[in-house]
Amino acid sequence: MTTARTLKLNLGPQHPSTHGVLRLILELEGEKILSCEPDIGYLHRGMEKMAEGLTYIQNLPTVDRIDYLSGCFYSELFCRTVEKALGITISEKSKIIRVTLLELNRIASHLLWIGAFLMDLGALSPFFYAMREREMILRFFEKLTGQRMMYNYFVFGGVRKDIDYIEDIAEIVRVLPEKIEDYEKIITDNPIFIQRTRGKGILKPETAFNNSITGANLRASGVNYDLRTTDELYKGFEFSPVVLDGKDSWTRYKARIMEIKESIKIIEQGLDKLKTCGKLEQKLINPLNIKLPEGEYYSEIEAPRGLASIFIKSTGEDKPYRLKWRTGSYYSINLLRELLIGEYLNDAIAIAGSLDIILPEADK
Amino acid sequence: MRAIVEGLLTVLKHLFIKPVTLEYPEKKRFQSEAFRGKLVVKGCIGCGICKKVCPSGAIEYSKDEEGKVVSYTFDLKKCMFCGNCMYYCPHHAIKMTGDFELATENKQDLKLVYKGGADD
Repeated sequence: MTTARTLKLNLGPQHPSTHGVLRLILELEGEKILSCEPDIGYLHRGMEKMAEGLTYIQNLPTVDRIDYLSGCFYSELFCRTVEKALGITISEKSKIIRVTLLELNRIASHLLWIGAFLMDLGALSPFFYAMREREMILRFFEKLTGQRMMYNYFVFGGVRKDIDYIEDIAEIVRVLPEKIEDYEKIITDNPIFIQRTRGKGILKPETAFNNSITGANLRASGVNYDLRTTDELYKGFEFSPVVLDGKDSWTRYKARIMEIKESIKIIEQGLDKLKTCGKLEQKLINPLNIKLPEGEYYSEIEAPRGLASIFIKSTGEDKPYRLKWRTGSYYSINLLRELLIGEYLNDAIAIAGSLDIILPEADK
Repeated sequence: MRAIVEGLLTVLKHLFIKPVTLEYPEKKRFQSEAFRGKLVVKGCIGCGICKKVCPSGAIEYSKDEEGKVVSYTFDLKKCMFCGNCMYYCPHHAIKMTGDFELATENKQDLKLVYKGGADD
């Protein structure tokens, strides 16, 4: 309710730093935010409805486009659900390839986030550095799969073809840690950065639970919840989830930086395993005749922006009767209703940026 | 203060390395052999599997009275370059080239018509 003393302000949808097209309807008193109403849907593509009209093999390339920064995760999720429904088990090497690529994809996604977040705060250089390192990963993906972001590489029953260009991954793993160190030198202890993020956007665990927040945002609030620890796919890989207890924007940044380091560890283990694995053996199914048995299927995975899950209801046809996605960003946007109240307008972008919101993923 | 100086030194280090950006139209960026760009069809037998796996309905084919496939049309305006048709073609008749600069003034340029059957 706007009164004579308050001002209603549209933040977005076309503000350059709102990552895609997010509109926040803010009510301000002076510079203080009294209420926030997020408005999404500007990037709605009807992915769920579209899926009902396509067969499973036609759906496979479209799921990469749910979130263009971490396409592998949604591919994996979709393949995993279909495999579960059809009772297919994938070979050990396919699993290792999948984990390695997923973690590379996670690093690429986090790198872009670091760049975009720092750009929100007005720092330009880290954006270019992060993009440069991300380019190495995308180049590897392009060599392997043929495209930089929409891979279409995971298939029902395994992967499209045997992994190649392992030396490229080794190079990424070798170069990345020192680059991350560079970022930390520039960003982590920078007083301006600390002033704008320390103690801002405090996310209490209870608020996070009430808003279904998952992923790095939740782990930066001191809750140890990482699906990878219980995931079948990650069996045999050793890593420790990053749990920090700062609850503010700065901790969320730190958590993601540390997560990149953890991902590098997983990729190193994956590389060691790939070297001793031998040739890829897998049994792929006939793509033209995939019919899921009648029933409801559900899978979940730890995506870069929190828990991602898929629900498929099948009536025994060759197309899903209903397909539902759960993506992390959708809940992070909703969290802004609570997180921004009482903060100042100039912190709003910094707080929204720290949650790692990607609009296509939220709008689907 | 120490942190700012350290950060500045790290940034300044980049003055002495080669630039990573390219002046695009003059210099072409790296492109892998597997790149999925414009389609090329050769040796098609008209089985129609590509149409069945295409998610965007970019592939159409017309048949004569006997049910034989006469011609195929690949509509690049609809194509999302996922590569499904290439991956599932049993005769490896479809290849995707590195050509991605598809901007044109004539819409018809983006419609690739191929004769079906064994005559191609």
